[in-house]
Amino acid sequence: MGCAASSPASRQGRLGVHQDAGETYDSKNLRTKLVLLGDSGVGKSCIVLRFVRGQFDPSSKVTVGASFLSQTIALQDSTTVKFEIWDTAGQERYASLAPLYYRGAAAAVVVYDITSPDSFQKAQFWVKELQKHGSPGIIMALVGNKADLHESREVASEDAQAYAETNGMFFIETSAKTADNVNQLFEEIAKRLPRGQPTQKP
Amino acid sequence: MASPGGEGSRRNGPNESLRSFTERKKHEHSNPEGISALYEELFGDEDNERPCYLPDSGEEDNRVAEQDGTISREEKGGGDWKVERELRKEEGTSAEEAGPKMSNELGAGDLREDSGRGHEGEILQLRDQELSTRNGGSAESSSTEQSVVLDGELSSDRGLDGPVSPTSSQGGTSGYMAGSGSSSASTSSISGTEAANDQESEGTGNRKEERGAWVPGKRHLQEDDTHPSWRRHKKHFFILSNAGKPIYSRYGDEHKLAGFSATLQAIMSFVENSGDTVRLVRAGDHQIVFLVRGPVYLVCISSTDEPFQLLRDQLELLHGQLLLILTRAVEKCFLKNSKFDMRPLLGGTDVVFSSLIHAFSWDPATFLKAYACLPLPYGARQAACGALQDMTDTGVLFSVLMCGNKVISLVGSRKASLHPHDLLLLSNFISSSESFRTSESFSPVCLPRYDSTAFMHAYVQYLTKDTCLILLTTDPNDFFHLKECRAQIEIVLRESDVLREVENSIERGGLRIEDMPESEGSPSESGSTRGDRASDDATSTSAPEAVPGTGGPAGLWHFIYRSTYLDQFISSEFSPPLNTRSAQKRLYRAYQKLHASMHNTEGGGPHKMQYRRDEFHVLLSWRTSDFELYAAFDPLAEKSSAIFVCNRICQWIRDMEAEVFLLGAAPFNW
Repeated sequence: MGCAASSPASRQGRLGVHQDAGETYDSKNLRTKLVLLGDSGVGKSCIVLRFVRGQFDPSSKVTVGASFLSQTIALQDSTTVKFEIWDTAGQERYASLAPLYYRGAAAAVVVYDITSPDSFQKAQFWVKELQKHGSPGIIMALVGNKADLHESREVASEDAQAYAETNGMFFIETSAKTADNVNQLFEEIAKRLPRGQPTQKP
Repeated sequence: MASPGGEGSRRNGPNESLRSFTERKKHEHSNPEGISALYEELFGDEDNERPCYLPDSGEEDNRVAEQDGTISREEKGGGDWKVERELRKEEGTSAEEAGPKMSNELGAGDLREDSGRGHEGEILQLRDQELSTRNGGSAESSSTEQSVVLDGELSSDRGLDGPVSPTSSQGGTSGYMAGSGSSSASTSSISGTEAANDQESEGTGNRKEERGAWVPGKRHLQEDDTHPSWRRHKKHFFILSNAGKPIYSRYGDEHKLAGFSATLQAIMSFVENSGDTVRLVRAGDHQIVFLVRGPVYLVCISSTDEPFQLLRDQLELLHGQLLLILTRAVEKCFLKNSKFDMRPLLGGTDVVFSSLIHAFSWDPATFLKAYACLPLPYGARQAACGALQDMTDTGVLFSVLMCGNKVISLVGSRKASLHPHDLLLLSNFISSSESFRTSESFSPVCLPRYDSTAFMHAYVQYLTKDTCLILLTTDPNDFFHLKECRAQIEIVLRESDVLREVENSIERGGLRIEDMPESEGSPSESGSTRGDRASDDATSTSAPEAVPGTGGPAGLWHFIYRSTYLDQFISSEFSPPLNTRSAQKRLYRAYQKLHASMHNTEGGGPHKMQYRRDEFHVLLSWRTSDFELYAAFDPLAEKSSAIFVCNRICQWIRDMEAEVFLLGAAPFNW
C-alpha cells in the first residue's frame, strides 16, 4: 500500500484537507495539508519517502502528476500532527497544475538542490508564486537538499538563508540520502502551525 | 509491391487520390529538377541509386516517372518482376492442389492460399499498389531501389524485399551496400541512415536478436547521427516540430540530433511547399515513414520490413502518447511561437515513449486494436466488475483494474466508452512510470480518442505488486472521492478473493497450446504430425496430437484469437520451440504482416482466410464476423490438419470465453 492507512469517508473531501470518519481533530491532534514544490530532480520525493517510510531509493523515479502520502508525528508537547503531503512533479508541464495542490495548503516546502543554482532560481519562482496565490498565512520552508554532496555545492547556505529571511521563511539544509534534518524539517513546520482551533470542523 | 508493369493499372484508387494526383503532377512538373536534386543529395548520388518522385496513381506511374527524367531501368525491372511472378504462381498452384477441400469445412468463402519459401511466400502482395521504381543500372544494383510515395493512396510495404528480384533475395543487402558506401562519402548526415543498412546489422540481424530482458528507458544516449552504431539501429523514431526542433528520438540525444531533425524537416517542408505531403520514402531496405499531425512531425526510419500502414499506425500511436501527456492544447504554443521548444514539456517521459516503441515489437494490442484480459474465473471477474461498477455510479468516468498490460476489469460510465488505443496508451503510460508504484498518485492524462483537447485526472494506485487500479475523472478536485472509491473497491476485492485469484492466474500463466483439449473425434494416429496421412482422414475425424517439444497438435506453435465484438484478444504463451526471442519476434512480425494483408482493402482484400507457408512457419489466418484467428504451425505442418486444429482452437476459446474475456463490457465506439 502506497499511503498510510486512510479510512473511507463520506464524499466531502476536496483536494484540501479532508475529513476522515472516525478520527477527530482538535488543538491537540492537528491535521495539515502540506505541499512540496521545486524543480525536477531536486529530491522532493526522496525527502517525503525518507520522512514517511524511512527509505531512500537512489534510482531516480520521475514523479508523474502528484503523489499523495500521509504521516503523523508526535511533538514533545503531546500534540500530534498528521501531514497530508502532496509531492508534486517538478516538470514544467505540471507547473500550471500546481495551484490545484497548493490551494488550501497550510504549509509549503520549497526544495532546491544545493549543487544546482538553476534549481535555486526555480525555488525563488515558487516562493513568489506562493506569496501571490498561496493561502494567507501559509508556512513556507526553503529546503536545500542533497547536503551530503557538499563538495559540489554551488548554492551557498548564506545566500539561501538570507533569501529565506527576507521572505519570512525558515531555511534548512537536508539530505534525504543520509536522513539529515529531514525529520527536523517536518517537526519545525509542525511547531509553527497555528494552534487553538481544529483545522476543519466535521 | 513494385508494380511497374500492367499490375498497377488494375487498381482503382479512391477518387481523392486521383483528384489530387493531377495537382501533384503539376507540382512535379513545376520543379522536377529541384526535387530530384534534393533527393539525390539526401539519398545518394550514384547512378544506380537515383531516386524518383512518384505519384500514387497506378495507371500513370510509368509515364510520370519518365517525365521526371529520373527513371532508367523500367523495362528491366518489369522483366524481373514477371519472371518472379510466374515462379510464385507455380508455387501457389501446387499449394492449392494440396488442400482445396479444406475451405468447405471451414465455411469460409474466400480461401486464399500462398505457398513458397522464405520471403517468397507472399503472393497476395502482388496486388499492392506501391509504385516503386527500380533504377538498377546492372544486375547487382537491381536491389537498390528507392521510391517516394506521396499523400493519397498507399501501398503495402512488400515492394522491395526478396521477391522483387531473384538476385536480391536476401534483402538486397549487398547491392545496397555498394550504393551507400559511395554515397556516404559525398553526402552528409542523411546518407548515414542508409549506411545503417550495413551487413552486420542487416545480413544477420534477424537471427541475432538474442538479448536480455528489455530494460526500460532510453539507451544509446551518447550517440548521434555521426555514430556508426546509431545508424545501425534497425528502427528509429523521431518526433520533431514543424520548425525542425527535435522533440523525441528513440536513440541518441535529441540536442545532438538537431541537425538531423532539421534535415527531416527540410524534406517534409520541401514537399509541403508544393502543396503535397510526403508519406513514404524507400531507400534500399529502409522505409522512411512520415506523419504530420498539426505542428508535429513524426518520422520512422525502419529496416524491419514491416508493412507501411503498420509503421504509420505506430506513428499515430506515438502521437497519441504525446497527446496523452500534453493534450492537443500544446499546439497553441506553436501558433504563438513557431520556434517553440516542446522538449522541456516532455521532461522525464523518454521512458514512456521507449516503452511504447518496445510494445510495437511485442504487444499484439498495438496492431490488433484490441486489448488482452487476464484469464480469471468468471465469478472473480464478475465480482471485480461489480465493485468497479458501484463506484462508476458515483461519478467516476472510467474504472480500470489492470495487471501488467492485461485488463482484469474495465467499467465506463453510461455514456462513455474507451477506445482500445486509449487503453493501450494509458496502460503504457502508467506501467512505464515507476513513480506510480511508489505511492498513490493523481495525475492529469488526456485520452486522445476520447477527448484530445482536455485533461482528465487519473487516480492511480497499485493494490498489489502487479495489480493496478486506475480511476479517471474529469473533476480535478475529485482526489479524495477517488481515494475513497479505491478504499471501498479494495475492500470488496480482498473480501471476494479477487486479488488472490489474480495472483493465481499470474502464477498459472496464459493459455498454453499443450493444454488444448482433445477434440471429440479420437485421434487415430497420434504422434505423426505430417506427411503420411491422406488429407481426407484429417479433415473428417482427427488431428494429430502434440509431440513434446514440437508444440501442440498438428505442429501448432502459437495462436492469437481476437473477438470482433469485444475488441479483445487472447494469445497463447510462447511454448517450445518458440523459446528464443528471435523466433518469437519473427513470429510477431509475421503476424503483423498477415494481419495487414488480411485487412488491406487494396490488392483484393480484405480477405477471409489465408494460408501461408514460409521457411519458418505455416501461418493460417481466418476472419469471420465474430472473430479473427491467427495461428502459427510448424513449417512442415499439413494444411488439412492445421485447419482442423484451427477449428478446435475456436471451439476451445468459445468454451472458455467467460474466463479469458471480459464479457458485457461497454462496447467501444469507433
